[in-house]
Order: sequence, then C-alpha cells, then structure tokens
Amino acid sequence: MTTLNITYDGMSADMPVELDGHVSDADVRRIAVEVVRSGGVPGIHLAHLRDDAFQNYVVDRFRGPHGADRIYLRPKVPFGA
Amino acid sequence: MRIIFCGVGAIGSTAAVLCRNLEATLAFIDFDRVESKNLLAQAYVKPSVGKNKAEALKLQLLNLHGVKAESFGVRLTRDNVATLCGGADLLVDCFDNRESRQVLSEYARQAGKALVHGALSGDGTFGLVRWDERFVPDAEDQAGQATCEGGLHLPLIGLLGAALARIIQDFVKHGVRRDVMVNLNSVTPTMGT
Repeated sequence: MTTLNITYDGMSADMPVELDGHVSDADVRRIAVEVVRSGGVPGIHLAHLRDDAFQNYVVDRFRGPHGADRIYLRPKVPFGA
Repeated sequence: MRIIFCGVGAIGSTAAVLCRNLEATLAFIDFDRVESKNLLAQAYVKPSVGKNKAEALKLQLLNLHGVKAESFGVRLTRDNVATLCGGADLLVDCFDNRESRQVLSEYARQAGKALVHGALSGDGTFGLVRWDERFVPDAEDQAGQATCEGGLHLPLIGLLGAALARIIQDFVKHGVRRDVMVNLNSVTPTMGT
C-alpha cells in the first residue's frame, strides 16, 4: 500500500492507493486528477478539476520509517528546497 | 551555538524573530535593502526602510529583544561563502533564488555543515522545510519566477516561519532534523469565539 499525499490550493490530504509496481510521475499526476474529481481525497473534492491541474507539480517519493511508500504531489517552491 | 540565516526576506526574517528564545548568536546575510512594500510580509518596521535587511534585523533583535545578533550586508557568492559561513553551527537557507541556494548547498556538503532550507510556492499557498541531505532543486517554470509579495500571503508565511523556527529549535535542543510541508490546513482550530 502506498500513501499518496496531494496538495492543491493550500489544502493537503493523504489517501491510500494500491499501485502495481513503479508508476511514473505523469501517472501520479493523472491518478491525482481522477481521485480529486471523484471525491476520494478528504477535503479536496473538485469535480471539474482541469486535466492539466497538476502539470507543473513536483512528485516527491519517500520511504516511511516502517518501509511504507509515500508519494507527495506538491506545488513547486521557486528555486527549490 | 551560531545560527546563520542566509536571506532575511519574508521567510528568513519571520523565522529569525521566532528564534529569539534560543541560546544562540543569530547572524544574518542579505545584500538587499528594506522597501516600504516589504513591511507587509517581512518582519521589518517603518524606521528600517532604506536600511540593509541584515543590519536592520540585527538592530531589531538587539534593541527590541536583547538577542545577540550579527549582520553581513553582502550577496553570498562562491568566493565568500566559506568566509561568511565557516563559523556556523547551523545554516538556514531562506534565499529567494536558486543560484544562491545551490552555492550554499554545495558549500554545506563540502564543509559538513548542517543546512536546512525553507521555501514557499509562488502562489503563497504552500511551503516546505527540508534538510540539505534531501534537497533537490525544483525546476523553474520560467526564469526569474516571482516570489510572494504583499500581505496576502502573510498567514502562510507566518505558518512556514513558525514551522522553520520549531525545526531549528528541535535541531538545537535535540539534534533531530525534521522536514515538513506547510499548507493552509496545517493548523486545526479547536474552539472559536
């Protein structure tokens, strides 16, 4: 099980996702659009979210302390951090 | 303990003021000057307009809070980074440009210095605090991308500055290095009046 954290318009929430193997950054962005549209992300339900809403977002991948995978989809912070 | 804030604009000045409780010397590096518009989102006061930001913040912390502080009103470059940052126990990167962040990161890695980065998204709705061992610069959408200006983003800047100050405090007192993301829903109200 992987936890996908999505940040959009100042809101952020976790949701569990079943992923079969590695998914590309583009796939993460596509999945995020679908789950936000469907209301699957607590507090972030936008039925008419644009297809390219996460186009310029960054995908961060971390392994949690107990081995669980965490993926963060977040806005860029200018010039990095 | 000597903590050097590199860049004391919105993030750096806010976080530095919230570090005034630490038993540490706070040092500030920034070549820029305080402008009237900065008063909306940065921890400066009207009499500081026109002064160098590093110098102005040093004077505020010394005179208003009695904190030991130092200032270096210069631009950080590859030529002076070792001289300016060599005495730091902790470096805090609050720059607003990628090049300066890279200079600082490369120096910290080469010199074995602790370095934590604080950064804010351009739309003012999201912030990151990340230690240098996990620092990877984000690609710019366009060169010279604007950072937050004006008071609209002040609440998020305050959240990010507070989170950064807490992380600095945890490092100073316990040696831990936490990363955080800061959003507008990261503070949960429990009671209203």
